[in-house]
Amino acid sequence: MRPLTEEESRAVFEKLANYIGKNLIHLIDRPDGPYCFRLQKDRVYYVSEESMRLSISIARPNLVSLGTCFGKFSKSGKFKLHITALDYLAKYAKYKVWIKPNGEMPFLYGNHVLKAHLGRITEDTPEHQGVVVFSMSDTPLGFGVTARATVDTRKLDPTSIIIFHQADVGEYLRDEETLF
Amino acid sequence: MDVSGIIASNAAKYAAITVEKETPLDVDAGLLLVTDLNPIDEESYAANLEDHLQSLARDGAQALLAALFALPTTRSDDGPLAQLPPPTTALPRAKPLPKPKPPTKWEQFAAAKGIQHKVRDKREWDEERQEWVNRWGRDGKNRRFEEQWITEVPANADVDFDPRKEARDERKARVAKNEKQRLGNAARAAGGTGKKGEDGEPRPRDARKQQIERTLATSRISTASMGKFDRKLDGEKKVRGVKRKFDPTERPLSDEKDASLALISRMGSDAKKSRRDPAAAPDDEPMLNVRKAVRFASKGRGGVALGRAAAGGRGRGGGRGRGGGRGGKR
Repeated sequence: MRPLTEEESRAVFEKLANYIGKNLIHLIDRPDGPYCFRLQKDRVYYVSEESMRLSISIARPNLVSLGTCFGKFSKSGKFKLHITALDYLAKYAKYKVWIKPNGEMPFLYGNHVLKAHLGRITEDTPEHQGVVVFSMSDTPLGFGVTARATVDTRKLDPTSIIIFHQADVGEYLRDEETLF
Repeated sequence: MDVSGIIASNAAKYAAITVEKETPLDVDAGLLLVTDLNPIDEESYAANLEDHLQSLARDGAQALLAALFALPTTRSDDGPLAQLPPPTTALPRAKPLPKPKPPTKWEQFAAAKGIQHKVRDKREWDEERQEWVNRWGRDGKNRRFEEQWITEVPANADVDFDPRKEARDERKARVAKNEKQRLGNAARAAGGTGKKGEDGEPRPRDARKQQIERTLATSRISTASMGKFDRKLDGEKKVRGVKRKFDPTERPLSDEKDASLALISRMGSDAKKSRRDPAAAPDDEPMLNVRKAVRFASKGRGGVALGRAAAGGRGRGGGRGRGGGRGGKR
């Protein structure tokens, strides 16, 4: 377990800023106590200071997980967000998408969001913007990237893809052994 | 009077000046060296080591001095000087033998083809001048085409054909080629450490490559920020063999927070910079560059001074300027 280097921090922050924009500051500067990012076996964890200090005394091979796993670094140094970061992403998300009940299951099985399943979307969402996907009852289901800007979606046919799937809560079952 | 006792005590005091040994001592006066080839007398060695060694040394010194006094002498202001004969003992070399010079490429080729080396004289017989002339150098024969007062021009030559220049260029090209080959030979000879080739010899190409890489790595960290803030080139490789260094895990979290916030603010400014496109500037951005206009109008003294000048010098402007207020202390 170690703090992130500057390049790693940059990679993580850029990825997070894609979803939560300026709200990233609220993750780092929290009123309820200090939180930090820690790297352990290529995975980035978002931990409170208290649990971070407790876990210092655990040897690296024995430390399985701590805090909230935000994602992992690939071998080539790219950062990939995991579904476990959804709680924080949903809380601070800048752009949101709500999908209809009949679209929930396809999305939770790892498919892209079609226009037919789109319930609501934040106004002025640009193209290729990270968005958090909610059910109509405001339960966060996952996140993805917009395929088109909001204004362009109107002329599309119902079967065209609106949101590219990136992660959904179905992964808790599908990727249970590798997720954390 | 019986003097035999005195003689006996004297004889005991002064040991014999001639050294009698089974094998005579080997004296090399040229190196002031005496070698005792006799086997060690075990009894006296075991009885008293110190006395045994002293008597050995005394015998050697005595033999050496006797040999020195037997040498021919010359007179000098400091007294007689013995003339040492040349040394007879062969001593080993202090330094290792010099390594043979690595062969040049031509020498390799000649050895492979069995070409015999012919020493070419520096001077050459000139039939026209009926004298010996240098092949090259001062009044060298290799410049004869450049120094002719009349030269034949080929029929298909250009209008601006200059036979002297042509000949000179050719000669200079030969010199340049030779210099290049010399440098190549020197580089090949110098290429020492590196990966070994199939025949076990270090390949000069690898050695040079290693050296270039080392120089590149050094020059990369030889900038003002020790390479930290340099622009990365396309396809630039990571420097190998550099240890990573991480912050300690238990650093105060406030430091980490400040560093993160600074990084985020820097990222934001970067994003602004990259998005700055004059063609796609938003409509609310004024066409006028205000800062530049203020600088121009105030002749570089700033907006505060400009405001004060507009107010006619009465009262204060927006705050303390460089010129200071009228009533201000100087």
